Amino acid sequence: MRHRTGLILLALAVFFAALSPLLRWYVFPSVAKIPAGQYQDMVLEAKDATLLDYGTFTERKVSKVTIVQTLKGNVEASEKIEKTAGRDIVVWDGLSYVQGPDGEMVSKIPERYIFDAHTQEPVHATGEMVDGDPIRREGLEFKWPFLTEKRDYEYFDAQARVTAPIHYKGTQDFRGVEVYYFEQTIPWTEVPFPRTMPVEGITRETVAETGTTRWYTTVRKFWVEPVTGAPVYGEEIHKEELRGGTLLGDREKVTAFAGHVKMREDYIEHTVDMVKSQRLLVLLMTSYLPWGFLGLGVLLLALALYVEARGRRPGDPESSRASAPEPVSA
Amino acid sequence: MRALIAAATGLALAFALAFAITLLGSTTGETSPKPLLTTVPAHP
Repeated sequence: MRHRTGLILLALAVFFAALSPLLRWYVFPSVAKIPAGQYQDMVLEAKDATLLDYGTFTERKVSKVTIVQTLKGNVEASEKIEKTAGRDIVVWDGLSYVQGPDGEMVSKIPERYIFDAHTQEPVHATGEMVDGDPIRREGLEFKWPFLTEKRDYEYFDAQARVTAPIHYKGTQDFRGVEVYYFEQTIPWTEVPFPRTMPVEGITRETVAETGTTRWYTTVRKFWVEPVTGAPVYGEEIHKEELRGGTLLGDREKVTAFAGHVKMREDYIEHTVDMVKSQRLLVLLMTSYLPWGFLGLGVLLLALALYVEARGRRPGDPESSRASAPEPVSA
Repeated sequence: MRALIAAATGLALAFALAFAITLLGSTTGETSPKPLLTTVPAHP
């Protein structure tokens, strides 16, 4: 190559061709992560639900139960864990606040979820808890990894403090977004009472003394956008019962909560819009730019060769020299 | 030889850009001052 234009084109061709795999397999895995300081809230509603009246310990039908879920990235805590873990960590301090139809608190359960910012795999460190109980979380919670696969995952259930498979059940279209549908069933399981009860004077310990136990089952459904791994919609068919003990008198069991929990409409719209924009960013790094750069690299290389070939016209002293036969000595 | 130098320059620039992007993308931010909610927000 002798021409300046051809050399510049060649350099650009190599630049773009090299950037293509670098972007997909080096830059993307490094920069695709959950920001440590992320804050998000979510409102879910269960209409025509059944709720326990803690005054009389009888079940009642209510028009609506609202669940406000907040996740707040604790940057200081994540930086502290990163020092020993040696990788990017996210610490989410969460609160699930359940409110009855009259605005009264039904329960509030705090949670600390520690995970790898890139893979969303749980990380075990001091402070990992649900409702103040230390736990060792396995599996996913709240979010799937980037580039979610069509397979079953392990998902952590905060109520039962157990990890169970969440099954991939097919690909669907949700409001114009291609999503993977996942479903998990937690069978009837005895679970601890919340530390904060809706009636003053009743605590987890005082209830335990009566011999009454709390049981729970749920069918958890998630519609996950696979590129970002973000759920765009979620539902739960959730049932809780109190069983046995002196609190219930001669009754064997009473429903503490039963309802079909769904995301509130405005939050669905907000989530879908947000996921659509983030999906574009991930696709840019995993598909559009790598393929575009590779194509551009090939095009520039072809152009460089063309410029070079045009420069090597017959009669050109350099090209004549190159094609002239070498003297042979015997 | 000049073609080799041009190709090496392109390759080096690609690596330099990739490293620069990953360094820029590793900022952590700050903890939000917003509280964990105990009231129902009117909108997202």
